[in-house]
Amino acid sequence: MKKRNFGLAMSMILAAGTLLGACGGADDKDTGSKDNGKDAVKVGMVTDAGTIDDKSFNQGTWEGIQQAQKELGIQSKYLKPAGTTEAEYLKEMGNLYDAGYKFIVLPGFKFETAVFKAQDKYKDSKFVILDGNPHSGDFKPVVNDNTVAVFFAEHESGFLAGVASALELKEGEAGFIGGMEIPAVQKFNWGFQQGVKYANENLGTKLNMKAENVLYQGSFDNVAAGGQIAAQMFDRGVNVIFTAAGGVGVGAINEAKTRGKAGDKIWIVGVDSDQYADGIYEGEKSIILTSAMKKLDNVTFDLIKRELDGDFPGGETLTFDAKNDGIGLPEENPNLSDETSAKVKEVFEKIKSGDIKVAAEQGDLFK
Amino acid sequence: MWTIIEQIFPYAIVFTIPLLITALGGLFSERSGIVNIGLEGLMISGAFASALTVNFLQDKMQGSSILWMGLLVAVVVGILFSLLHAFASINLSADQVISGTAINMIAMALTVFLARNITGSGNIRITSGFTPFDVPILSQIPIIGDLLFTKTYATTWFILLVLLVSAFILNKTKFGLRLKSCGEFPQAAQAAGINVVRIRYIGVMLSGALSGLGGGIIILTYAGEFTGSVSGLGFLALASLIFGQWRPLGILGATLFFGFASTIANVSQVIPELAVIPPIILKIFPYVVTLIALVIFSKSSQAPKAAGEPFDPGKR
Repeated sequence: MKKRNFGLAMSMILAAGTLLGACGGADDKDTGSKDNGKDAVKVGMVTDAGTIDDKSFNQGTWEGIQQAQKELGIQSKYLKPAGTTEAEYLKEMGNLYDAGYKFIVLPGFKFETAVFKAQDKYKDSKFVILDGNPHSGDFKPVVNDNTVAVFFAEHESGFLAGVASALELKEGEAGFIGGMEIPAVQKFNWGFQQGVKYANENLGTKLNMKAENVLYQGSFDNVAAGGQIAAQMFDRGVNVIFTAAGGVGVGAINEAKTRGKAGDKIWIVGVDSDQYADGIYEGEKSIILTSAMKKLDNVTFDLIKRELDGDFPGGETLTFDAKNDGIGLPEENPNLSDETSAKVKEVFEKIKSGDIKVAAEQGDLFK
Repeated sequence: MWTIIEQIFPYAIVFTIPLLITALGGLFSERSGIVNIGLEGLMISGAFASALTVNFLQDKMQGSSILWMGLLVAVVVGILFSLLHAFASINLSADQVISGTAINMIAMALTVFLARNITGSGNIRITSGFTPFDVPILSQIPIIGDLLFTKTYATTWFILLVLLVSAFILNKTKFGLRLKSCGEFPQAAQAAGINVVRIRYIGVMLSGALSGLGGGIIILTYAGEFTGSVSGLGFLALASLIFGQWRPLGILGATLFFGFASTIANVSQVIPELAVIPPIILKIFPYVVTLIALVIFSKSSQAPKAAGEPFDPGKR
């Protein structure tokens, strides 16, 4: 009898495990605000590769949606596709549409072809694609009236981070670790190099960059590789590394934390959102010098607001840059001196006014 | 060239250790006759448990004792998880491959689910993990001092100790020989008065404990953040187990090989001397070698004969 009870208990645990497992797998979250009843606009989002809390694309976009929920009283929901193919993206977009979510935000260039199909299929629905243009696979953008394509001037953000690094370090060696070699990441890289160069030429700094210290790891999730690459760069005399690489960056930050704790003077420049908290290794001390931000949350919030105001810019391709505060460094940078912050602000104004032009092309830059 | 090897070596070892301990766990399970392809899932559960423990304790306590507590919790959680596999494959005589796959799927989903509900985020970050140190005196020895005793982690030495003890237990003690006999010919073992079910339970629980430990070490040494996966290291450990022919020293060699090959592939882009080789070649190198080695050794494979078969006392 005792044995049978034990068996029963174990079977229950197994069954419960599978059930819970199912819950975790079909990652969805309905966070509707109750007071608004039926009339609330329903905003949906499909996540790109990675989770909703990837501290990058998905999270930034979702935070904007949640802010809109708090302040504008919309309903929101995100769905996580089983994979990263067009068919899987389309399926989740269809699921959102069927559930009444007719304002769908899609973070990432991987959604380009899926949005191209969806904008025709669901004509009474609105789509926002971040970092991409809908196309049929031939890279000829087709933005219908119910779609908005959003781009960011990552190169300007990288430029500011490059200037800030050069000013703060005065002299030394800088490196760059990218994830996949895709436009958004490349533009961060090119901007950063131009920023360092600008500071060296105009602001009297001597921050050097070598071709071998500029690379793309090839993925956004190889944590071990991130740490190992960062370690090799630091061992070869690099003082500051700009990471635009998701999970690969997490590995690099971890390696830098270990070295920072041991007293080494090295830094990491974060990306997408303010990563200061990610780099804390002791008390309030962080290894993150500053972060090249791309204000996904603001932009998402603004577009939802414009939709509510009946001012949805359908059919347009928007670019967010220094001029409309779509990019920039964090408000507070505890690791930057006041002098550096002030100068970076000057540079930021110059980019805004067009005095400084940051190229979004490789030109004669590394990689 | 020498400085490159010196610089890479410590990192390759750090990468190897979780692989080694997980493969060792797999060895205990398979030697007792239970195939365990749930190593990946067990590692994830251990990684989750250690990250959560350290995350909770780091504000309240100081010092490295919380890290060891994190590892202890990882071991316990690994054991609990492996009990599911043990129960399904020993008591219920289920297909061990399916049960192991179930463990992998449950662990991946359940840990992220729990992490999100407990901490509000699917990622659990720890402020600081183990700190690497140079072994006094020994690190002064020319050549091997730089390679083996520089930038080492306490966990590395602990795991090597576990490996030695395991090798001793497997080959020299009554328990070890009984465990191996259960994986070769359980009916004969039972006829000799050995409790096969109990031995197999212990084998699977050991695999859970060691894989959990492996997952915990990943977080507390080189990862620093739990993100819901261990990027396939559990499967790589399984491959090392086969490559190492189910022997402790064999898997030490196999995991070192994988550890080095992966590390070199990872860092090749930064090192001008290595950058001339296309990264893709370096990345597939360890797997191609494994395939070739498996083909060559397939005739003389030392796999436990009864591994994968449910135990049926009536069968002869």
